[in-house]
Amino acid sequence: MISVVSTNITSPLGFTTEENYQAVLSGCSALKRYEGKWGLPEPFCASLFDDNQRASLAIEGYTFFEAIAIRSIRTALTYTTLGNSLSRVILILSTTKGNIEALGEELYYPSKAAQRIAEAIGLTREPIVVQNACVSGLSAQLLADRLLSAGFYDYAIVVGAEVQGPFIVSGFQSLKAVSDEPCRPFDMERNGLNPGEAAATIIYTSTRTGRHDAWHLVGGAARNDAYHNVTPQPQGEGLLLAINAAMEGKDKSRLATVQAHGTATLFGDQMESVAINRAGLSDVPLSALKGYYGHTMGAAGVLESILAMRATDDGIVIPVKGFAELGVSGRISISSKLQKTDKSAFLKAMSGFGGCNVALLYEASPQSSSTKKEERHRKKVHTVRLSSEDETSLTDIYKQEIGNYPKFHKMDILSRLAFVAAEKTLSDSKTLSNSPLKGENTGEDSLPLREGWGGSLEVWRGSVILFGHSSSIVADKQYLSTISDAGNFFPSPSLFTYSLPNIAASEIAIRHHLHGETCFYILPEKDEALMQEIVDATLSATGAQAAIFGWIDAESETQYECEMKVTL
Amino acid sequence: MEQLINDLKQQIKEALNLEELSLEDFDADAPLFGEDGIGLDSIDVLEIIVLLEKRYGIRLESPKEGKAIFRSVRTIAEYVQANSKKN
Repeated sequence: MISVVSTNITSPLGFTTEENYQAVLSGCSALKRYEGKWGLPEPFCASLFDDNQRASLAIEGYTFFEAIAIRSIRTALTYTTLGNSLSRVILILSTTKGNIEALGEELYYPSKAAQRIAEAIGLTREPIVVQNACVSGLSAQLLADRLLSAGFYDYAIVVGAEVQGPFIVSGFQSLKAVSDEPCRPFDMERNGLNPGEAAATIIYTSTRTGRHDAWHLVGGAARNDAYHNVTPQPQGEGLLLAINAAMEGKDKSRLATVQAHGTATLFGDQMESVAINRAGLSDVPLSALKGYYGHTMGAAGVLESILAMRATDDGIVIPVKGFAELGVSGRISISSKLQKTDKSAFLKAMSGFGGCNVALLYEASPQSSSTKKEERHRKKVHTVRLSSEDETSLTDIYKQEIGNYPKFHKMDILSRLAFVAAEKTLSDSKTLSNSPLKGENTGEDSLPLREGWGGSLEVWRGSVILFGHSSSIVADKQYLSTISDAGNFFPSPSLFTYSLPNIAASEIAIRHHLHGETCFYILPEKDEALMQEIVDATLSATGAQAAIFGWIDAESETQYECEMKVTL
Repeated sequence: MEQLINDLKQQIKEALNLEELSLEDFDADAPLFGEDGIGLDSIDVLEIIVLLEKRYGIRLESPKEGKAIFRSVRTIAEYVQANSKKN
């Protein structure tokens, strides 16, 4: 459990949390229709900063993405007394594509942007970037909880930011997921999402130093569908597991709202309604904010949580803008009208590409509860290293040592690397008992690798936690090549999918039916101690039975490095 | 028609990276989706839509329109023959 110190939202609807909340209360939306924007052939509806806003937010020497993150953090800091003691503060940056429009330059690297933001704020510790597709903003808060609860830092600044451009918008258009009208979450007529840009910050501290009457992140969980890289599992299995884990032992009658993801895509909203229904939360008022902000991607988890805190403080459940007639099959309590509440807790849920689902539970002035930590017996770890110095191509390794998984050929280089390394690590660890490495064996001679759907009790809760520096640079360049020539403009949906690095974790989860947590973290360099901190904190918080984790980095087809570990 | 079917098989195999599927085993009438057929998924359909636009100048707005079109390589070929703008 951690405690909120301060927040900020910097969006086209305002530059402070209060401005944003008042704008939303009065029904404002920044969604507009754009035609011919950035030379894109198809129109789209989006929530973008206008020219005046861009000019007033810009900071010389920084990209616009970095500038809005810096502005948001600085504004949040003005409400705190942190200013002079920044040495035990960690910056966690949540973004799906960061400085993607700087692809080809040093600025592209997400950790570079994070370092520049950290320096501008005056932070000295190395920042961490969470690139976990649409759930990044919630994954970043989960990480903050773990690192603060473990006592590694005094404060965590969680900033989520996204700037839109041709890369992201054309990518979602290639997936037929973008609407050219204001989006309509959970509505019969919904036909896609609207990209949005924003930065949002929550500064957290541990409950030891936080104010008791502040908002607290009291629980949370991430679970994977292990179903498909893009399509959500229709029965909402992963989201249901996440919600159940986040709500375990908690009283649902205390919830003011379930704040859903509600992107207004056909399958996403449908799946969410089913999961919410199955979780027994049908009667809790549902809220969803995409009709005001569009989908602000890396910022969304942070921005939307802040507004739910502010609205709940005010005794209000924000109306679902864009919703008119129910168009999903799971029973939910949704309203386009403002509702009153006297409750002081809410659940925030999101689902994203890579099959990831996160549910977080927030409460104001919570009853003190000792965070339940599942005891983990420290088990043996088995490691496999792969690097391009070996001069064996990943495809050769696949053909010679793995085979019989045709989907391998569809993967980008990062996913291939992750896949091959995971296969080798798992197969080695399975046969360890008969190998000369017996001393490092776990004693279990087989993993339940092929366990299918069996109800939540049977689901294997293995987690996949990946770290890297170069993000999805190879796939990004490949995707960019499909949109960079106006005369030959054919954006590839599958290449765009792989431009999310966490898809590499998804591929492993799908292959082995792993329904635990999956996440991709970007670090400036391979930092064994920090990686171990994050992995230990994740395993301890999730009670995961097993995890595949490691460093995975690919700069090109022939330049890669990977060290994958499995702990059983 | 047979030539078009063969071209499409080759183009689909390339566009979708179906490395382990030999053209001989790629039955023009086999269902493209589901366990019993070639086993393509929703992203594959979207890639085929891109392919049809790129190679044949045919523009489909949404995969929903194409349920019947994307049943098999033969149904795609019939659709291409009826609608192609590039030859």
